[in-house]
Amino acid sequence: MNDQIEPADAARALSEIGRRREQVIRRAAVPGWYWWATAVLTIALSAAVESGRGHGVLAWIGLALFMVGTLVISGLLSRALRGAPPRRDLVAPGPVPRVLAGIAAFAAAVLGVGLATGLSLKSAGVPWSGTIASAVAMVVFVVGGQILMRYHTAFLVRRSGGRG
Amino acid sequence: MITPRFDELIHAPTRLSLVAFLAATGWADFGVLRDSVGLSDSALSKQLTTLADAGYVEIRKAFVGKRPRTSARLTADGRTAFDRHVLALQEIVAGAAGWWPRPAGHPSSRGAASGGQPAPGGVSP
Repeated sequence: MNDQIEPADAARALSEIGRRREQVIRRAAVPGWYWWATAVLTIALSAAVESGRGHGVLAWIGLALFMVGTLVISGLLSRALRGAPPRRDLVAPGPVPRVLAGIAAFAAAVLGVGLATGLSLKSAGVPWSGTIASAVAMVVFVVGGQILMRYHTAFLVRRSGGRG
Repeated sequence: MITPRFDELIHAPTRLSLVAFLAATGWADFGVLRDSVGLSDSALSKQLTTLADAGYVEIRKAFVGKRPRTSARLTADGRTAFDRHVLALQEIVAGAAGWWPRPAGHPSSRGAASGGQPAPGGVSP
């Protein structure tokens, strides 16, 4: 028992506890640099493949650099997220289909925009159509990815309310 | 069933932040804890030692390559103490609001039963 604690002090303490829980959840979100780095790598790969037509060495070098870059990004991401992973039971079980639907819609939007842009530009005879389409798709990837991550994090924060 | 119990050791502001962060995660790296809670290396080390001495925190030291890596996590006792502390805080806040459902015979329920508000801070162990 503690008679010294004022309700306002207790409320502040509960608020601090909620803030720390939210901090752990937000820390586990995919960071902004990941989306940009992946976009740059993808556009560079498209450019390398397109410029390498006729002499495939450039395309192979581009592919090798893409793979190395992807490994480096994955390693950095894994290291960043490993420092304080949220407990599995921190978030109440929620509607998984809704989360999966969000990810599927995001992937479909990136692919759809990329394919539509690429095919349209190619049929119009625009040079570097693949690279331009890739750049457009990556804009959707970067913007959409960060929006999706914000939405997902806010969803997890809401569902974690009241859990230790 | 967990009963509320106010814990002076956990309630100190720095330790409350630290324990609340640890309660939401599993093993947390020393560097992540330091940066997240905003403490110096020595201050964090001191707080972790205090919590470890109370049996609330487990500290692990490992090497990644040649670099030492220190991590900490709440023990089962620490988690229970934290959960009980959170319940005690909730009871204090709810008691002040006057709607906390208290069992018959609960010391704090007498004030409410007699028409008054339950005393703030009426947390039972």
